[in-house]
Amino acid sequence: MVLLFVLGAMWYAASSQNSPAVYLLLFGLTAVFLVSIPHTLLNLADVTIMPESAKPAFAGEEVCLPVEILNCSRTARRGIELVLPGPRSERKRVDDIPAGKTTRVTLRFPARQRGEHKVGTFRLTSIYPIGFVRVLKTFVSSQTYLVYPKPSGDTRLPVHRAGSPHTRPQTELGEGDDFAGVRAYVPGESQRHIDWRAVARGQPLMTKQFAAEAEGSVHLDFSAPRFHDVEERLSQLALWVIEAERLRRPYSLRLPNTQIAPAVGEAHFHRCLRALSLFEVTERA
Amino acid sequence: MSNRSRRTPWRDTTIPRRPLLWLAAALLFTLPPMFGNLASWVPFLFLLALALKFWMEPRGYRLRSFILKVVLAAVTVGALFLSYGTLKGVEPSVSLLAVLVSLKILEAHSAREFRVMVMMAWVLCLCGFLLSQNLAIAFCLFIAFTLLIAALVQFHRGSSPGAFWLPLATTFKLLAQAAPVIVLLFLLFPRINTGFWLPIGDPHAARTGFSDRLSPGSITALTGSTNIAFRAEFPDRRIGPGGPMYWRGLVMWHCEGMEWRAPYGATSISDSSRPHPASDKAIRQRITIAPHGARWMFALDRPFEVTSRAILARGNYLYSLQPIRKARSYEVVSSIEPIGKELDDHERRQALELPASISPAVRELAASLAAHGSQPRAIVNAALQFFRTQGFRYSLSPGEYSKNDLEEFLFHRKTGFCEHYAASFATLMRLSGIPARVVVGYLGGEYNDLGGFFLVRQADTHAWCEVWIPENGWTRIDPTSAVAPGRVSQDLSSFLAGRVDSGAMATGQSTFFARLARLALVSQIRFAWEALNYQWDTRVMGFDADVQDVLLTSLGLNNRGSLPLVVKVLIVIAAALIIYAGWMHLRTRPRADRIQALYERFCQKLSRIGVGRDLWEGPSDFATRAAQSLPNESKRIRQITETYIALRYAPGPAAVNLREFAKEVNAFTARRW
Repeated sequence: MVLLFVLGAMWYAASSQNSPAVYLLLFGLTAVFLVSIPHTLLNLADVTIMPESAKPAFAGEEVCLPVEILNCSRTARRGIELVLPGPRSERKRVDDIPAGKTTRVTLRFPARQRGEHKVGTFRLTSIYPIGFVRVLKTFVSSQTYLVYPKPSGDTRLPVHRAGSPHTRPQTELGEGDDFAGVRAYVPGESQRHIDWRAVARGQPLMTKQFAAEAEGSVHLDFSAPRFHDVEERLSQLALWVIEAERLRRPYSLRLPNTQIAPAVGEAHFHRCLRALSLFEVTERA
Repeated sequence: MSNRSRRTPWRDTTIPRRPLLWLAAALLFTLPPMFGNLASWVPFLFLLALALKFWMEPRGYRLRSFILKVVLAAVTVGALFLSYGTLKGVEPSVSLLAVLVSLKILEAHSAREFRVMVMMAWVLCLCGFLLSQNLAIAFCLFIAFTLLIAALVQFHRGSSPGAFWLPLATTFKLLAQAAPVIVLLFLLFPRINTGFWLPIGDPHAARTGFSDRLSPGSITALTGSTNIAFRAEFPDRRIGPGGPMYWRGLVMWHCEGMEWRAPYGATSISDSSRPHPASDKAIRQRITIAPHGARWMFALDRPFEVTSRAILARGNYLYSLQPIRKARSYEVVSSIEPIGKELDDHERRQALELPASISPAVRELAASLAAHGSQPRAIVNAALQFFRTQGFRYSLSPGEYSKNDLEEFLFHRKTGFCEHYAASFATLMRLSGIPARVVVGYLGGEYNDLGGFFLVRQADTHAWCEVWIPENGWTRIDPTSAVAPGRVSQDLSSFLAGRVDSGAMATGQSTFFARLARLALVSQIRFAWEALNYQWDTRVMGFDADVQDVLLTSLGLNNRGSLPLVVKVLIVIAAALIIYAGWMHLRTRPRADRIQALYERFCQKLSRIGVGRDLWEGPSDFATRAAQSLPNESKRIRQITETYIALRYAPGPAAVNLREFAKEVNAFTARRW
């Protein structure tokens, strides 16, 4: 550590020169170092975190995990970092939490594999005020987040192939009836659907929403896709679920051990995707 | 929010402006010791780098090119080599460090490098103390030290709201808490002398004050020097003895006409021959000597009790065992009366030795003096009379003399300073057959009322003679007093000031500053500053291993060895810090809320029998659920919850009081069935 090196150099100079002035400098730095230890250690006292529930994300996208940092103490806490250790390694810095207040930070990390994952450990660290020592506080959380299968495959829905072959998610902006409008951004949502152009114009963060007209109901069956691989099948099903929801067409889902009746709407949409994302996991278990 | 998170990767590649400002201010305060001690371009390069940094940083310019960096480093190191001729030694190494820090300032651009820069600044503080240790420098470095901590605090505060100077509040808090630790460490931490490094500075350059050779003009050259020679306190009395204060420095035996020289090396007076005068004639002094690179030490005329690490040399002066390269304090006892009534043959021979090159005119003069009688007193008085009546002048600019110019001085120019009079008088005495020697030291000194000490500057350097008068022993004769009687009773600067005022002497100095310096307020400030300086030099700089030993012995800590003491000190400090931390934690802990605590106890009781309250569950929702799963207790659960809600959320004063609520909660014992 650099500080120890500097202290060593000072001690060397002081003792070889027998110089009280250098000793004074050495002891000054040492004393400040020692005194800063309780300050740093206490900088995390009575500071806790409350992870909020993360919105499910598709594999390959990023998970947004809002976390509240609570300062229950009676003084301001400063220079705190929230770290998510491990391969997802993400850190967020909070400069100042006034006494008794909370701050909300959003951790973002890539969603790699579908399924339900544990967030595991959070770590709060701080080196305030002078950075000579670091204090760590680990929180083990039972908080989980859901990763849906990565949607891929054929965008055309099964059975009623005639649906609308021209509706492709990539061309959403060109089609007026697909773009349903914007609503206020909810922290934690994926940044992919934020209307960045509006942001650039100085407007608040908005999320774009898409809708389409309803048609006849679709039956999504695990056995329908032509793929052999389970993952690929699930991906195809996920894509179909998205497509059907986008077109506002009622859809049902049938997995080897689950049956979901036809419906449309956000709750149904997430129920289906949840079933897809947990499918193989439950099988394995 | 997302905009900020987009920018986070940038945070590591710029140094925020505020910490940089603090750091720059700190670096400015590490500069003063560099001026005057290093090659003059080094601090200017440093300043230039700082200024450039503030010009470059908002524009995003940076020293990026590797080749440019290498070239710049090579050029500056080359320039250093040209300035010093070497890269060894303290000044070149400090210059090298300062130059490298300058380049680092231009190059640094990340948060990590900011910390490295702060560490380098601390090393610069260290270097400052290696170059100079006086109080003014210490003040500057203390400010730099404080600002560095402020820079770190600001750096770690980030964008916390608050005024620009707020980090200083945290800094002062830290420093105030560190102060007792510093004092404890300073007093008790063992001073191990690891003398495995070259002594600072080149021993020739460190020489100040007079040398072991008194040649014409050597003391005149010191009259402009305001450097401190030493400071003296009289522990037994407030003010020194009455009459002129002659501070004995070095005794010169070898006569070469107008030039005198001290013997190489000093021989100690044996203990048995050392006289012990009556105690009422003894004066105890505590003297803090400034480093002068030589080995003689000062004491009032004449010292007889020696301090440690010094001997009493032949000629009755203090001679240190080591060259004095650092400020040093010592106590010494002097006698006002001449001491020692015997002169052995060897000394007599030495005290009469003369060079061959004395001119006949001078010999004639000495013969005429000797004709005044066989009594040495009479001869001495005749010689003094000669100086008094023959139109000799006391002057700061007596002109050049060489060592053979005795005749020129005595018969033609008749203008000289104390060293001319002392040297010629002593030579005349030897020619007349009276054993004589020259003493170099200081005369007078300025009394500091506030600090209660005498401050003696190099300008007060003086030379006088001692002649052997059989009934008295070595007797002090100051021929300067015959020429300029006022000089002996004052220090040189007031003597000169008096002469300037009366128009007797013209100086090149502007009289405005001379008058300003004598204003009451200015001199009060000066006295206060000098008193503070004295405290610094004696209390802090004088606190070396020896003084520490004395202190530890008086505390009864010394006999246990140094290592356990360190451990003990550290344990004490650690305990203090733990107590402090506990206290601080108690102070900042959330205030205990009795209502909340009681309600939580109630919830705990319920959860023990399997009805736990979820984090998001409100009290009434929870009560409904709990009542459903515990039908037997539903009434009490509802009641407690209602009381709780009334106490906690009712807008007016609650109808139920806290004690009742406590009773209810305590009485509540839930059973599943």
